Amino acid sequence: MEFTEKHVMGLKDLLYKMADDLLILGHRNSEWTGLGPILEEDIAFSSMAQDKMGQSLALYEILHELGESDPDTVAFTRNDHQFHCSQLVELPIGEYDFSLVRHFFYDHADAIRFDMLADTVVEPLQMVAKKFRGEIKYHTMHANTWLKQLAQGSEEARLRMQSAINETFPFALGMFEPSEYEAELIEAGIFQGEEALKNQWLETVVPLLESYGYTVPDASTVTPIFGGRKGVHTEYLQPLLDEMTEVFRIDPAAEW
Amino acid sequence: MKIKSLDPRVTRSNIDEDTQEGILNPLDHFETYEVFEQRKRGIHHVHVGSVHAPSAEMAVVFAKEQYTRRGQCVNLWVVKTSDVFVTEYEDSDIFETTVNKKYREPDAYKVIDRINAFKERNAKQNA
Amino acid sequence: MYGNAYIENNGKELNSLTANEDPIKLAEFEARIAAGEKIEPHDWMPAEYRKQLVRMIEQHAHSEIIGALPEGTWITRAPGFRRKMALMAKVQDETGHGQLLYNAAETLGKSREDMTNDLITGKSKYSNVFNYPAKTWADSAVIAWLIDAGAIVNQLANSKGSYGPYCRALERICAEESFHLKYGHDNVVFLATGTPKQREMVQDALNRWWEPIMHFFGPSDKMSVHTETLMKWKVKMASNDDMRQTFLDMYVPKIWDLGLTLPDPNLRKNDETGKWEYTEPNWEVFKQVINGNGPCNKERLAVRRKAEENGRWVRQALLNKNAKYVAPLS
Repeated sequence: MEFTEKHVMGLKDLLYKMADDLLILGHRNSEWTGLGPILEEDIAFSSMAQDKMGQSLALYEILHELGESDPDTVAFTRNDHQFHCSQLVELPIGEYDFSLVRHFFYDHADAIRFDMLADTVVEPLQMVAKKFRGEIKYHTMHANTWLKQLAQGSEEARLRMQSAINETFPFALGMFEPSEYEAELIEAGIFQGEEALKNQWLETVVPLLESYGYTVPDASTVTPIFGGRKGVHTEYLQPLLDEMTEVFRIDPAAEW
Repeated sequence: MKIKSLDPRVTRSNIDEDTQEGILNPLDHFETYEVFEQRKRGIHHVHVGSVHAPSAEMAVVFAKEQYTRRGQCVNLWVVKTSDVFVTEYEDSDIFETTVNKKYREPDAYKVIDRINAFKERNAKQNA
Repeated sequence: MYGNAYIENNGKELNSLTANEDPIKLAEFEARIAAGEKIEPHDWMPAEYRKQLVRMIEQHAHSEIIGALPEGTWITRAPGFRRKMALMAKVQDETGHGQLLYNAAETLGKSREDMTNDLITGKSKYSNVFNYPAKTWADSAVIAWLIDAGAIVNQLANSKGSYGPYCRALERICAEESFHLKYGHDNVVFLATGTPKQREMVQDALNRWWEPIMHFFGPSDKMSVHTETLMKWKVKMASNDDMRQTFLDMYVPKIWDLGLTLPDPNLRKNDETGKWEYTEPNWEVFKQVINGNGPCNKERLAVRRKAEENGRWVRQALLNKNAKYVAPLS
């Protein structure tokens, strides 16, 4: 079908929120590089942060082709209210329990989203979705292995992980904040929509966590923490951006 | 005194400059697994190093990034180091092949001269 | 990234330390090395060989782990996607190198836990250069280019040493370091050929890092401890001064090419001798820094202590009660 202006707006909105999520979470996770709990894990976690950065770049490049500014300008010159990331990804790294639970929740959503987009009518997005399949598969495998192992570990670890799951869950549900363009995205075959994504995500993560021995809050009784997709953010995002762009801002016209 | 670092990550971590924490106990970093990678289908797995890990599953997750993050790989094996039985270098003389084992080598079987001589003989007889 | 092992001799002649070794085994061992064969983990080896190798590989591993910190300073602030991803990959590699090297040292009988404890209690050393701060983004560029360049000079030499596991680790490491060197050079070139502000940043960083870089290869051989036996055993592969000369030969012209200056008025190549002449770096400062009084020693160790402590509950949770430690195979 012929895209109307609303379809294009919807597509851009989708690309922005995906790219912003990946950029901000990749940035957050890179804070562990060199400081992880065990050398081998330090390396693995850093690889995944790099993967996220690379995926966000690929999506900003599609946006650039759609007429938006170049990826560096988009990533390094906007203020927090111009970002469409979910609040989940901007929270500080905290301790490893939170970082792992966020990784688990986010990467399962990411995997399903990319899986859905492997059938999108938007060809460059379809290609990107297919290209990163392997990377993302490793990310969920990594997350599953960790959550499973820690559930079987010490009582302290199980409690820490359980409380991280409980606290993170409303933020995780916030990832599925609907956009203004859900109907357009669905009718045009661009994306199956946040509701479908959320349902598939719940069907994936809840049984997994339960099989490891955790309990999962009932999604129907939890109020998702929305806002991120509309530019409403926690107090943590602007300082993150100030830090990320500190050198870039010395001279945004310079080539670094 | 808390460290105020040039690295904002360090400043955020609120680290006591005189902290005495962090001392490790034996096995804190787990036992080791030996890692074997197969670069493409059809060739042997090759030993590439080891990882410290609490389980085989975790060893695979770790080995994948430590040993294959740049190279091509289609398959990984990990095996607990303590499960590998190894010969001693001291005993490496058991591998020496002596002359009388020549019959095991392909170059011990050179019959072309014999065939040629046979053909020549036949040719003469038939001539 | 690594400079050179700080060899300790407590005033003793190394030769006297082989006095208790079985002369036949020692002769076989030395003949094997002289023939260019590698020594492997379970081979017979003189106690002093083992001791010096553990010290050297361990210092090298610590240098990688601590070396991740000065550059890590800029990991959250790298300007633009290209630099951000590359710096993440580079710092990651340093951690990866630490992992490989600890494994190599473990084959000689010292556990990773013992090595880490010796690092965070200040008992064992690491390359001095990482006790200096990375004040600006340009410092991270200078480190990535020149410190890694120095490390490659050293590591290429060491990769031809006699201990199999160390050589194998270094082969992998050298391949990765060549990415670091390219990345670092690219980064410095962009700054040096960029805006006046960028140029000023990189010149300042170079001025700050020159003395630590000159210290990097260790004291002049004239002042060095007796290393003949270690050279014969192919533990130490090149003299400090030779490595410094190789480095100067390869990199000073490249620095000057960019119109950058170095803060040593005496630095020049003597065409007759073919050797570089320079102002002798202040070795008193070097000693001071090694002994814990550099600008960042305290911070570096405190950060590692905290990282180990933060990871404790994670590792404890995963600990397998039936685990049985044996040294990695090779």
